[in-house]
This record gives sequence, structure tokens and C-alpha cells, in this order.
Amino acid sequence: MKVNENCVGCGQCTAFCRKDAIIVKSKAYITDKCVECGICATYCPMKAIEVAE
Amino acid sequence: MKVIVIGAGLGGLLSAAKLSGSGYEVEVFERLPMTGGRFTNIDIKGYQLTTGALHMIPHGPTGPLAQLLEEVGADVIIERDEGMAFMRIFEDIENNIYEDVPFGKFGKTFSLWNRIKLALFMITTRKNPPKDCSFAEWLSRNFDTPLAYQMADSFCGWALSLKAADVPAEEVFEIFENLYRYGGPGVPIGGCKAVTDALADVVRSNGGTMYTDKEVSEIIIKDGKASGVIIDGQKYPADLVISNIGHNFTHDLCKDVDISEEHQQYLDRIKVTKPSAGVKICLAANEPLIGHGGVLFTPSARLVNGINEVTNIDPDLAPQGKHLVMAHQTTQWERTPYLEDEIDLGIKDLEEIFAGKDFEVLLTQSYYNGWPVNRSSSGSDIGNTTPIEGLYVVGDGAKGKGGIEVEGVALGVRNTMKLILDN
Ligand SMILES: Cc1cc2nc3c(=O)[nH]c(=O)nc-3n(C[C@H](O)[C@H](O)[C@H](O)COP(=O)(O)OP(=O)(O)OC[C@H]3O[C@@H](n4cnc5c(N)ncnc54)[C@H](O)[C@@H]3O)c2cc1C
Ligand code: SF4
Ligand code: SF4
Repeated sequence: MKVNENCVGCGQCTAFCRKDAIIVKSKAYITDKCVECGICATYCPMKAIEVAE
Repeated sequence: MKVIVIGAGLGGLLSAAKLSGSGYEVEVFERLPMTGGRFTNIDIKGYQLTTGALHMIPHGPTGPLAQLLEEVGADVIIERDEGMAFMRIFEDIENNIYEDVPFGKFGKTFSLWNRIKLALFMITTRKNPPKDCSFAEWLSRNFDTPLAYQMADSFCGWALSLKAADVPAEEVFEIFENLYRYGGPGVPIGGCKAVTDALADVVRSNGGTMYTDKEVSEIIIKDGKASGVIIDGQKYPADLVISNIGHNFTHDLCKDVDISEEHQQYLDRIKVTKPSAGVKICLAANEPLIGHGGVLFTPSARLVNGINEVTNIDPDLAPQGKHLVMAHQTTQWERTPYLEDEIDLGIKDLEEIFAGKDFEVLLTQSYYNGWPVNRSSSGSDIGNTTPIEGLYVVGDGAKGKGGIEVEGVALGVRNTMKLILDN
């Protein structure tokens, strides 16, 4: 998953990631614990999480 | 009559609850998988953090929101820790020497001359609020102590996520007046989610329908009148459309409109509304850091404006025996590119304010632009109607006058309901 420049750092995504793969500080950072399940993207109010190419 | 509500935030849910209980057929469409918008809980390690708010209702169990919740039959208990608002004034920050001055007695830290002026202003200014100047300008004309500014910034930062220089003085005096009229803040038992969930229950039990994962992509306009919405290419007709997403985003969804002169004036006005920005720092504490359920204002801090500890009112908002502490700081618009520094300074403030206490940072959350603290900063709201007949805007992009945060949302919804139901 990839975080785009729409991210404001609200931290909503991290609460719904079951793999504890998102660190948030002013912006979301997705770590290598990510299993690409896509759940976080549906909860982002800014449409800031996309599937990485 | 059929009403479609775009967005299941507090403003949308209040409107849907009221109209579904007044004989309207109501459908609510929410883009996210959950309802509540910026006023619901998110679980982090067993602590009930939120999607936005600090679990505080500015005028507690007796304010406009509490009244509207009762009116629509939403079952929520709001508790207030009476008299619990303090200003932490540091005499010596290095050695952690401070005094917690009760909010209503903040003048006691001023010189005698400033105290006399303050007492005079309390009487005269409440009756004749100053016009056409910011709260900071008004202060500089009348007080010569830096503490007055720090207190003003702390209050405006906490209550509105703005600097005193960015709030019209008239708006601040209206807020003071409302604090006298309605009383101070309270915490809903169960947190923000208890409020928005109770409203969603009311909508359903009134026969309304709530949809999640459904994003409105267009508002259908026929003959200058809102007549429904489009979702995933499908048309949903309605007699009225209520938008919970602020005037600007609402306008973006109106694709085919003829822009009259009056409409252009509206567009010029909504374009200049500025959403307010801010940072919330959430702490997990092994001991009470504040010890009461009110607000601790921090005028001496670099960036933190105020802090609360809601677990003193509802212990279930944290794991057993732990405390949830939330600090808020406003972020000036030009500082949003440097948010990481702003957050670090805020954490430094908290380490000083709670020196020697046992706590850790759970999460830092920042808000601006499309997901702000307030869609239109206080004093810049522009009402609930639009140039398009049958299209209304509710929520914190269209608050009622003098209403802080969710109280302003409730006042705006009340205005809108009056317009619709009296028609
Ligand atoms: C850090 C912070 C602290 C705060 N603290 C407090 C506090 O302690 N007390 C207080 O009173 N207020 C506080 N506030 C303010 C308060 O949270 C907001 O004013 C309030 O929640 C806004 O509600 P709303 O209904 O206007 O909008 P929102 O909650 O934003 O709801 C709008 C909804 O519309 C949905 N939506 C958007 N576009 C579409 C679309 N095209 N189709 C369908 N759905 C869509 C969104 O997903 C969202 O759910 C705080 C805010 C923040 C950020
Ligand atoms: S939910 Fe979206 S905007 Fe918020 S921190 Fe996560 S990626 Fe950023
Ligand atoms: S895709 Fe799934 S695992 Fe990866 S960060 Fe998002 S929620 Fe977590």
C-alpha cells in the first residue's frame, strides 16, 4: 500500500489495521508488516491510501 | 416527503433523527464503512480515542446539543465535572513550580490595575461586544500584560483551534455569554460514539435507512432545485437534500448548475472560509495526570492549549486502572508543512507539564484541509441555505452563531430544521 499527499495524519487508518503496520506522525507510514489486505484504505477519510503499483 | 442526507457525521445524523421523527422518509449515505464522522471512537490498545473530538461537549448536559439530543429521543448521558476548569500558570517551568488558577478567577494573576479594568469590561463588554476587530486586537487595546494574550490563545486554541488574532472579538464575547447561559463542558458516557450511535439508532427506529460505504458523487439538480443524488452511477431521487460535508465540497457535487449573479456571490463567500487546523496528542497514563474531568488550560506552554482526562468521568474509556489524557493545540495555517516539528514541540510541552509522571504517547493525530478541526473557523460561518432550492448544508461548515464546535453544529441543525419544518 502507498500513502499519497492527501494524508493529513489523522490516525484513523492505524486503528483498523489488524497487523499493526501503520505508524502515524503528521502523516501515515506503512511498514513492512503490511499484508496488503486493503482495510485501512476504506477507513481513510482523505482517500490517501492506494494500492502500490 | 423524502430527504437524502449526505454524510453520517454529527450534523447529518442530528438532521436525519429530527426529520425521520417528523414524518419524513429519510435515507443517509455515508462514504466510510462506519458512521459518526469526526465524532466517534477508535480503539487503540483498549483506549477509546476518537476520529476527531476530545470527547467533550462544550456546554455539557444543558447546552444546545444536549437539548436537541433529548428532543429527538437520543439516549445519551452527559456528565459535567462542575467548576473544573483551571489555568496552569508556571512560575518556574524548569523546577516544575506552578499554580492551577480556576478559570473564572484568571484575573487574580493580573496586576491590580488590570484587575479593575477586567471587572469593568466584564460588565460593559458583555452588553456591547466590540465590533470589527479580532480578540487579540481588543486585548492589546485594553490590557498590557503578556499573560492576557497567553490565556486568550490558550482558550481560543482549545475551544476553536484558532489563535486569538484569528477570531473576531464579537464571536469570543458571544461564546463567553453562552458559557454563562448554558454552562461549561461535559463528557458523554461512552465517549463521542455514544452520541452518534444513539442518533443512528433513533434514525433506524423512526424507519429511516442508513447506508455505509456509499459515496455520493453528484447532487442531481433539476430546474434549479435539488432532486436527488447519484451513487455508483445509480440515481436516488429525493425532495430535499441535506449535505453534511460543508459548503465547498457540496458545491463540487453540483455538476450542472447555471451560475447566476447571486450564486456567484455565494461561491465567492464560501471560497474564503478557512478550515481550522490542529494537533491532538493522546496519552496513556498509569496514574491520573490531571485528576478531574474538566479542562486544564496551559497558557504557559509553547504549543499545547489545553488538556483533558476524560477517564475521571468515564473510566471505561481506558483499560481498567489506566487514564486517557488528550492534549489539543491549534496549528496556524502556514505551519501545516511543519507538522512533525509542531507535534514534537507539543510532546515536549507535555513532558514538562507532567514531569515525573508515568505516561506514554499513544497516538498523535493532525487535522487540516479536507479533514479539519472545524470546516469553517468560528466567526466565518455562512448559514445553512444554498442558492439551490431544496439543498441545505449542516455540520461544522455551517454552524450557528456563537456556537462552539458541536454546539454550533446543533444550533445550525436547529436553524435548518426550522427552515424545513416551517415551510
Ligand atoms: C482534533 C479535534 C478535536 C476536536 N475536539 C472537539 C471537542 O472536544 N468538542 C467538540 O465539540 N468538537 C470538537 N471537535 C470538532 C468536532 O469533532 C466536529 O466539529 C464535528 O465532529 C463535525 O461534525 P460534522 O457533522 O460537521 O462533520 P463530519 O464528522 O466530518 O461528517 C461528515 C461525514 O460525511 C462523510 N462524507 C464526506 N463526503 C461524502 C460523500 N461524498 N458521500 C457520502 N458521505 C460523505 C464523511 O465520511 C463524514 O463521515 C474536534 C475536532 C478535531 C479534529
Ligand atoms: S486515515 Fe488517511 S489521512 Fe488519516 S492518517 Fe491514515 S492515511 Fe492519513
Ligand atoms: S493494507 Fe492491511 S495490513 Fe497493510 S497497512 Fe492497510 S490494513 Fe494494515
